[in-house]
Amino acid sequence: MRWSSFKYLFGQGIHSMFANRMMTVASLGVLMVCMLITGFTGLLTANINSLMGWLGSQNEMVAMLDRSVPEEEYAGIGKQILEIEGVQEAQYISKSQALEQMSGDMGEYEELFNELKGEENPLYAQYNIRIADPSQTKAIMDKVGQVSGVERVHSPESLIRTFLNVQRWVQAISWGLVLVLGIVSSVVISNTIRLTVFARRKEINIMKFVGATNGFIRMPFFVEGMSVGLLAGLLASGIVLGGYGLVITKLGEYFVGWEQVVNAVVLPVELVWPWLLAGFSTFGLVLGGIGTMASMRKYLNV
Amino acid sequence: MIQFEHVYKTYPGGHEALQDVNLHIEKGEFVFVLGHSGAGKSTFLKLILHEETATSGKIIVNGFDLSTIKKRRIPYLRRSMGVVFQDFRLIPNITVYENVAFAMRVTNVKESEIVKRVRYVLGLVGLLEKKNNYPTSLSGGEQQRVALARALAHSPKLIIADEPTGNIDPELSLEMMELLTAINSVGTTIVVVTHEHDLAHQFNKRIITIDHGTVVGDDRPCVYAKGGNRG
Repeated sequence: MRWSSFKYLFGQGIHSMFANRMMTVASLGVLMVCMLITGFTGLLTANINSLMGWLGSQNEMVAMLDRSVPEEEYAGIGKQILEIEGVQEAQYISKSQALEQMSGDMGEYEELFNELKGEENPLYAQYNIRIADPSQTKAIMDKVGQVSGVERVHSPESLIRTFLNVQRWVQAISWGLVLVLGIVSSVVISNTIRLTVFARRKEINIMKFVGATNGFIRMPFFVEGMSVGLLAGLLASGIVLGGYGLVITKLGEYFVGWEQVVNAVVLPVELVWPWLLAGFSTFGLVLGGIGTMASMRKYLNV
Repeated sequence: MIQFEHVYKTYPGGHEALQDVNLHIEKGEFVFVLGHSGAGKSTFLKLILHEETATSGKIIVNGFDLSTIKKRRIPYLRRSMGVVFQDFRLIPNITVYENVAFAMRVTNVKESEIVKRVRYVLGLVGLLEKKNNYPTSLSGGEQQRVALARALAHSPKLIIADEPTGNIDPELSLEMMELLTAINSVGTTIVVVTHEHDLAHQFNKRIITIDHGTVVGDDRPCVYAKGGNRG
């Protein structure tokens, strides 16, 4: 195709977008709402995934060692723990290290622990265990508990289980929403283009009789449909990113003193925006293309 | 140029629009296809344009065998001819110039060539000064001439005019026929489909008469007119 023809057809598509501005605005509105819902749900899913990853990266599982086991056997216990599938790291903490850690955490009441040093230390020697997949917490906990010399195992298993359930639900809902809203968006674009095609059916008929190929006839409609999709994608990206940035700021203000956790868990805007922009633009373009294709078939059969 | 061999066309409802049509139109001819309403003229035209396909028989138009033509070749068949419709089929919201240029744009012609050619054909039909007008501001005769200019835009070897005088005054009809005759004089084949018996017989041209879907007459100029010249 010649550059001049391309320019002409592209111009026709853009012109038609403005000529049918009522329908264009309506389509943009519906598409943007669909994308906003998808975007916020997607970001929620991504952040829950990030939270799960963060929880998994914490030394949340602690294996308390049996006091009756001699200290020289502790290394062997650590080796057995490390051999369990899913265990990434097992760090030995002696009784005295555990006491130091605890007294350090107590700040001004540190002195209260001085009496507990030495033989009086009531704490356990322990292994802080890091696991790869938080969803395996329960299974690994059971296996660690069965290792000879381990008296008991602690982990926020119920908290992780709750988050895992939330993650599963949010993921299922967001995929469902993407699917349903994707179909709704295609139908909306398809109807917009159908109206344009209907309004220009005589023109299409004339084009066919003067020897236009189907590709030539389709192009302006594709330009229109895909432009509406792209524009909706760009606008929705802007709104979602603006809203997300605001939520992050509010979280920072609300969780004063927890900045490190918030920063570790919440995905920053700098990381999110290229994916969101690319995703929404592609989503819009593809939906625009599908919607146009679906609406044109009938009028090309001349 | 146009060849029909034992062509039959039966529509899905069972209506037999054409039956055993055999005809041959040579390059450079000027032919009237005459018939009353419902005789089969429209079907004849639709078959040439490949808007409909024949039930049986062979049709060849400008070298394209329409019984075997592939879908993607149909635009090229249509580019090889220019069609003037009775209802003009102009796009009302673009100018006269754009209506003519439009026919060239779809065939992927360079913009500089479009400018030159559109000016030329509009000059030929006497409407260059109205190139910026919209079709709705023109008279029926002028709109018909725009339609003719559009048909001529890509220099086709064959012009088909469907009832070209059906929507215009008698004096303008004569003007239109003179224009078609002038175009024919430079070697373009002209096929005029009409129900106007008097109009067809006013000119010294070949007349193919269709009635009830069959060719009932094929009168060459020399047969019915003194000093007639073919084409």
